[in-house]
Amino acid sequence: MIAILGAVAILAAFLGCLALAFRGLISLVRPQRATPSRLQVPVLVVLMGAVASMGALQLALLTDDFSVAYVADHSASTTPFVFKIASAWAALEGSIVLWGLILALCIWTVWRRIAARSKNDQLWAAALGIMGIVGLFFFGLMLTVSNPFQVCLTPATVGCLEATWAVWTPAQAAMEGLGPNPLLQNHFLMALHPPLLYAGYVGLTVPFAFAMSALLIGRGGAAWLEASRSWTLVAWGFLTLGIVLGGLWSYEVLGWGGYWAWDPVENASFIPWLIATAFIHSSIVQRRRGMLQAWNFVLVILAFASTILGTFLTRSGIISSVHSFSQSPIGPILLWFLAFILVVSFGIFAARLNDVASSSRLDSMVSREGFFLVNNLVLSVFAFVVMLGTLYPLFLEAITGDTAGVGPPFFNRFAIPISLVLLVAMAIGSIAPWRSASPTLLWERIRLPFVISLAAGALAVMMDYRDGYLLLGVIAGTLVIATAIHRLFASAHRRTVKTDESMVAAIGKTLRGDRQYWSGQLSHIGVAILAIGIALSSNLAVTGTYSVKQFDTVSFAGMELMYLETVIRREPNREVIGARIVITRDGRQVGVLEPGINSYFMQGQSIGTPSVATSVGGDLYLTLVRIDDSGVSFKALWFPYVWLVWAGGLLIAMAPLWGWLGRRRSRIPDQVEESTRQ
Amino acid sequence: MRNRHYFVLIGVLLTVIVVGAITGDSSPGDRAEAIGARIMCPVCQGSAIAGSPSTTATAMMDKVDELIADGMTDDQIIKYFSDRYGENIILDPAFAGKTLLVWLLPVAAMGMGVWMILRRRRTIAPGVESSQ
Repeated sequence: MIAILGAVAILAAFLGCLALAFRGLISLVRPQRATPSRLQVPVLVVLMGAVASMGALQLALLTDDFSVAYVADHSASTTPFVFKIASAWAALEGSIVLWGLILALCIWTVWRRIAARSKNDQLWAAALGIMGIVGLFFFGLMLTVSNPFQVCLTPATVGCLEATWAVWTPAQAAMEGLGPNPLLQNHFLMALHPPLLYAGYVGLTVPFAFAMSALLIGRGGAAWLEASRSWTLVAWGFLTLGIVLGGLWSYEVLGWGGYWAWDPVENASFIPWLIATAFIHSSIVQRRRGMLQAWNFVLVILAFASTILGTFLTRSGIISSVHSFSQSPIGPILLWFLAFILVVSFGIFAARLNDVASSSRLDSMVSREGFFLVNNLVLSVFAFVVMLGTLYPLFLEAITGDTAGVGPPFFNRFAIPISLVLLVAMAIGSIAPWRSASPTLLWERIRLPFVISLAAGALAVMMDYRDGYLLLGVIAGTLVIATAIHRLFASAHRRTVKTDESMVAAIGKTLRGDRQYWSGQLSHIGVAILAIGIALSSNLAVTGTYSVKQFDTVSFAGMELMYLETVIRREPNREVIGARIVITRDGRQVGVLEPGINSYFMQGQSIGTPSVATSVGGDLYLTLVRIDDSGVSFKALWFPYVWLVWAGGLLIAMAPLWGWLGRRRSRIPDQVEESTRQ
Repeated sequence: MRNRHYFVLIGVLLTVIVVGAITGDSSPGDRAEAIGARIMCPVCQGSAIAGSPSTTATAMMDKVDELIADGMTDDQIIKYFSDRYGENIILDPAFAGKTLLVWLLPVAAMGMGVWMILRRRRTIAPGVESSQ
């Protein structure tokens, strides 16, 4: 019953997309038909279909309807409530439903914005048509190879052996479901991380659709950038948050003692982030100076294509990684879709190149736009390096049959110098004026922050942190923070001289005056904090492995760790065996950690779960290696200042909010000001 | 502050940092960790032996310590493991042979980007006077 409901909902959304694509794109030849009201019905059908399909899936999961194969294979009656909900995106078919839902929400919000203005607009109508085409693909997947509502024909004792997409077939319910992959039900972050990441991925469809629409109409200029800007920033914020929480999940669950391993699936989310970041910067150059028009089209196509590539890498199981738990025949189809996207969009781009080539010129490399170019070059190369390193072993194996490993050392060798260059460009670029900057002016604006950053480096030396990369990271990171804060105070100071305001009021008014600039600076500070956090935590980490008997004590990183007792807890879906370890520092108890091994009954799998004690100075991180009657073996890690990584990441992701808060009020004056400021 | 003061301050701070960085030496433990980070743990998907708490990885790390004590160079130790476990457990591709390209292509991409920016400046620069 639920299966039929879900399948009908998907079919409705599919047909809605078909109508949307048709009605949206027809406006290219009949501009008078580009009215929001003509698109209203398809948009609402897509939205309702997508919401209903997710609703049906949730209903099936929450009511333990094991006649639906997806539920039987990815959920169980003993699965905790939160993870039943999260099961909807824990496996391939469900994650496509989530994808469809977010796409439908994007379509709806875009339509609402245009409907609010209720006038003919080809750009918006055709963009919605293109989003309809993208929707056709994903809802088409759900109807065919990736059907989440397949009904079970032959149930096993646990799970489902054989299923059919013919949802009207009388179904056989399994007695019990298999439950989600243990790694996915071990931490609540798993419920959050995929929706955020998907919101980022799918959100990038919007600027892509507007770009394609502008190309099809043959209209250059920044109109498509302006129109899609909010969605680009929101998508980017979600993508950032998704990546950061993914790192946190990896840190809290996987237990290898790190947050970033350059795993193919991590890379798959990082590549779109890098390209989208480059795009956000280069779009500012186009809006301000009219440059890089063609380049922006290239970036937005690549950003969208890289989200499909990312999905392909994650979902095809082509690369064995910690994320290889989802394998399916969907791989080739995604690859064809990726090829289709690239060929068609670059084909349209090439055909319209003459209409969109930029007219404005670069006066001097030493200028805001000059640094934006450096930023774009470096970010693009960074994205290329990550993609190359991820795909190289695949290509090598496909072409020569040879295998080779490309892992973290390779990526780090490029990522570290690239990041340092980016930090320096970030610091100087954001204080350089547009068009041309005199070296004297730049020096005046940078000298104090530069001294402060060197002082931070010297302080690190005094604290006996002497690794070269660590020092460079601290100096470059501090330079970014100090430059931004110095600029704020300098601007506010000028205001107090002119207007007689107090310093505090002047700072507030400066921050509110150019929200776009200051939200960018906030993001930069986040990047700098993140960079300092990575430099400190990775270079200063201390590890040790210990085997101890009960009541034994070991010293580690200035602390005493004592193995107190074993704890065993039985929960409905798993058994938790943990070692209670008491931490004392200078004779004072500072905490009790309980690293454990969680055994999941349904899957017959055991996974270690680290236990972390966070303090300002750093994290003590314990993982259990072995536990039996004779004692325990555990691995201890001391990560100094690792919280800086999370704080920085969160700040990067949240920074666009500052620009968004003042959007409504400042929108019109801003645009006038920008267009006259050339 | 005058410019001269800034230069003096920058000079002093730079000296402290450079001297500090040069005199700070790495201990043998760091070396083992660095080598361990370049070798993938064969039984645990996707992580290096330096990071993994598994028994196999721990045993391999002990072997690294042992080989360092024997006086082997980093490259010899890497070769020791790649001979025994196969080349794909080495996470750090060699700057030679079949993995040479993975190192050269990024450099080529960077060079191409720089060339495009410079070319753009040169071809567009003549229009400076005439356009506005």
